[in-house]
Amino acid sequence: MNFFERMQSLDRRWIYIVVALAIIIPLMIPYNSDNVTSPSTENLYQMIDSFAGREDRAILLSFMHDASTMPELYPMEIAIIRHCFERNIKVFALTFLTSGAPIIDYAFNSVKEEYPDIKSGVDYCNFGYKPQAMAVVLGMGDNIANTINTDAEGRKLESLPIMKGITNYNEMNLVVEFSGSTPGTYWIFYARPKFGVNVALGVTAVMAADQYPYLQSGQLIGMLTGLKGAAEYEKLVDVFAAYRDPAIDYSVKTDAEGNKILPGRPFGKEVLNDESTKKLINITTQTKAEFTPAEYTAFVAKYPKQKAIFEQLKEAQNGTIIIDVTKITPELRNQMGETAYREINRLTYNINYKFKVARIGMNAQSVAHIMIIVFILLGNIGYFIQKAKSVEK
Amino acid sequence: MKKTIPLIIVIVGGIIFVLYALSPHKLLQDDFYNKFYIPWAYASAPWAALLGVISLCMMHSSKIKRRAPKWQYSYFFFAGFIITSLAGFIGGTQKGSMLMWIFENMQMPMSSTMFSLLAFYMASAAYKAFRARSTEATVLLVAAIVVMLAQVPLGVKIYKNLPLISQWILDVPNLASKRGIAIGVGLGGVATSLKILLGIERSYLGGTD
Repeated sequence: MNFFERMQSLDRRWIYIVVALAIIIPLMIPYNSDNVTSPSTENLYQMIDSFAGREDRAILLSFMHDASTMPELYPMEIAIIRHCFERNIKVFALTFLTSGAPIIDYAFNSVKEEYPDIKSGVDYCNFGYKPQAMAVVLGMGDNIANTINTDAEGRKLESLPIMKGITNYNEMNLVVEFSGSTPGTYWIFYARPKFGVNVALGVTAVMAADQYPYLQSGQLIGMLTGLKGAAEYEKLVDVFAAYRDPAIDYSVKTDAEGNKILPGRPFGKEVLNDESTKKLINITTQTKAEFTPAEYTAFVAKYPKQKAIFEQLKEAQNGTIIIDVTKITPELRNQMGETAYREINRLTYNINYKFKVARIGMNAQSVAHIMIIVFILLGNIGYFIQKAKSVEK
Repeated sequence: MKKTIPLIIVIVGGIIFVLYALSPHKLLQDDFYNKFYIPWAYASAPWAALLGVISLCMMHSSKIKRRAPKWQYSYFFFAGFIITSLAGFIGGTQKGSMLMWIFENMQMPMSSTMFSLLAFYMASAAYKAFRARSTEATVLLVAAIVVMLAQVPLGVKIYKNLPLISQWILDVPNLASKRGIAIGVGLGGVATSLKILLGIERSYLGGTD
């Protein structure tokens, strides 16, 4: 038995071991890789971002999946909720599956940990599990508060501050459905033609091909495809949160009524390809905050009492000043105070694990895809060699 | 009577919904849908769920009584059902509750593990069965390799235009076949709906005719 014949009859358990290693190693040792964003993800990002700070605009997230498809769909949900919290966008969520209800709670609670100012009923609202999908989808086109009545916590919807300015799909103008089976059916077939609501999907990779007709016809304004779509969205949120155009004033202002006015964020390929921004969205652990001398002076001026500590920690490297947060001992952290510590930590641009999980997963998927391609090629080479030999005989 | 009354309910209900979809009249949009249908739909949902629970319990208890194959697993159903229900009813569904603990530490990892097994089967099937035996199979194989490579960051490093080629495959040949299937399914759906509305198609009532 030659090598190729042996390879043809390879025990499948060896294949399983190789697959396991190909997935586990990149997950344990993350590296920086660049996920090229697709138009369907960019369109969805731009639409959601256009709602920033608006009282008369909101998005609805429909969680139509159970825990089994969470590895692919959950990172998308987290990325979109994070985008909404960061940009002050009203976000609602519901599910027509009983098994989807805990996923909504889990997702909101997980993102909320990083945004302590965000409040349920004010910035977001969980409608929870709702039976009779078609009745709800069509009823919300007329009046959301009358159809849903109470949120998952049993509060009357009419009395919640988040409902100010939100009546029906005219305001809650975008629905994003995350699904592991038949995505967007009610929204595409009923809500969009009848009420003109914009629909987008987040689907598992194997289902994406089925949705392309709706995407091309414009019935879907965007689609996140599997872990890749989630990684792309994570990247967009990080890039545009980090990028600063010198010509734009990014400070948050308030109007006469005390409402926040958020600055717009320019969207374009030049921003996505900007090298200085790429450095700020690394998925490997970042521990060093880097300043120009002018930036360092401005930073220290904000914390005059902690100046001595920063002077002790700073290191000069190639004309820049660097502070390594791993050198901050618990005693120094106490002396520094939590506000200054959080600020210096933020300036390292270290991304929280839960907000880069899809990109780390994409590293594993890269290796897994390459490995499957190698398997296909090896299998075919062996097959043709064996075939040629049998013809010779 | 056993078949005539359900048939009338289906035909009348179907026609009302066709009219609701086509007519903006207040009688249909507000009086029928908002005031009559939505409250009744909500009221019927818990009963449907109860019916499901009773049916599931009957099925598993009968399996245990009959000592049917793998009857022991039915005890796991009852254990899971009772513990999860009690956790939800007693502790609520908020963060830190027993139900959320079960969800985070049991349901989530177990379900995800089942789904992730797909990767192992796919790799094994790719190696053992994905062969370029014919022209069609070769085209499929090449398309699959291009799309798979373009999906991942490493593919773009190999050839920067790979995403464009992959997008073309998805937008043109894939879309053409998907549209064909969708049109076929749509026409079939319309035909079947019409047959049900007109009382020609009755197989959903059960029986042989």
